[in-house]
Amino acid sequence: MKLLTNKTLMIFLILISGYGYIASCTHESVVPPTVATSGPIITRGTNIQLPGNMVVGDTTQWKLDKAHSNVLWSTNYVGVAGLLTGRFNQFGMHEVIDAEMQNYLTAGQPLKDTSWAFNEADPTKTYFNGYVQVNQSNTGEPGRDGGCNVSGLGTVPIVTGTQNLTLTNIARIKTTSVKFDPLSNDYIVTLNFTWKGGLAAPLTQSIVGRLKYVSKARVQIGTGAAYSVFGLQLKFQFNCRDFGVVSTSIADKVDIECNMNFNNK
Amino acid sequence: MDDSLFVYLQQLELITFFSGYPFIYAVVFSIAGNQQDKNSFKNQVTKLLPSGYALVGILYLGFQLKNLYLVYFIQNNNLTMQLTCWQIWGFLSLLFWIPALAKKTILSLLHSLVFFFFLARDIILRLSASTVDIHIVRNDMQMYTVSLLLNLGAILVIVLLSFLVKQYKK
Repeated sequence: MKLLTNKTLMIFLILISGYGYIASCTHESVVPPTVATSGPIITRGTNIQLPGNMVVGDTTQWKLDKAHSNVLWSTNYVGVAGLLTGRFNQFGMHEVIDAEMQNYLTAGQPLKDTSWAFNEADPTKTYFNGYVQVNQSNTGEPGRDGGCNVSGLGTVPIVTGTQNLTLTNIARIKTTSVKFDPLSNDYIVTLNFTWKGGLAAPLTQSIVGRLKYVSKARVQIGTGAAYSVFGLQLKFQFNCRDFGVVSTSIADKVDIECNMNFNNK
Repeated sequence: MDDSLFVYLQQLELITFFSGYPFIYAVVFSIAGNQQDKNSFKNQVTKLLPSGYALVGILYLGFQLKNLYLVYFIQNNNLTMQLTCWQIWGFLSLLFWIPALAKKTILSLLHSLVFFFFLARDIILRLSASTVDIHIVRNDMQMYTVSLLLNLGAILVIVLLSFLVKQYKK
């Protein structure tokens, strides 16, 4: 110990082991996690989709695929219980003017679904119109659908083979503005909702909803039948009491979800 | 360092058992200072250091025997143990149970410094040329920490036993 005093030994040991601890505690070999973004990641493309005249075979013209689309409604049963849901079997994307409000003897779409346009990058150029036949509400309970729903919603029963677009049986929407949602990829839509319901005359309310664009995609690639599809999903809510619906079986607020699929076949 | 993983593991074991002793030794001697009274408690502790070190040697021997599956080998009459020179050097720590050697406390320090230099070598190579992977240094330091605790515990056990024996004799 004459050559190596205790203090020298201590300093030597502390220096060596101290550096060892410092070196082993560093994370230089660990890949740091990516920096979290402070806001939502919003990516929008430049897709433009237009219906044209819905000429079959023209891939530049987009057609509403009604068979694979739906309009759903939901509300709390008796206002406080679980959801009561249903769908409208007949709907379309046409701006139904007064002259077109009539009965149509057809099994298909009574009017062309051409009253819409979608511009992904410029929402000011996006608009759409739509309608549902109210008596075509389908909850899976025939007694309800053909019974209290008809009277409760102020409409008339279904006449087989007839598409009823008359004033008493049609609820319509028409957009007045479409804007980017700053917090997501969605769009904020202001629309006029027009429905007679239990009132003496139709009422139009301005309602704000959310539109989601399901981007264009190619399907059945590699086959001769390849085609493109895209989707629009609109959600909004309205107060059915404003439209003269008094039934206590449903809540005041009714949620509507429109899932529209399009293709360019 | 030898490329063999087994050699590296053996060295890690030796680091774990013995590399912490020099620091404990230096701390105890620094605290004890130049005690004139040979019967003082601090002075007594410094004398017990080699015994604590030998206790660590016992634990190392037990660890190696455990790895050897001793019972199996005895039952099969096939007791063979391949020792490296560093392992033999580790087992030499058992010699500090011999009172004559235990009196030479400096020998226990010199014996253990060999194992501390395994650690120091990795750290210095990392510092000077970065030829040693950081994970090796990290392993070394974890084992060194364990070694510090092990040697401290061993000294405490020996001091406690010594105290109890003295009390019993009285």
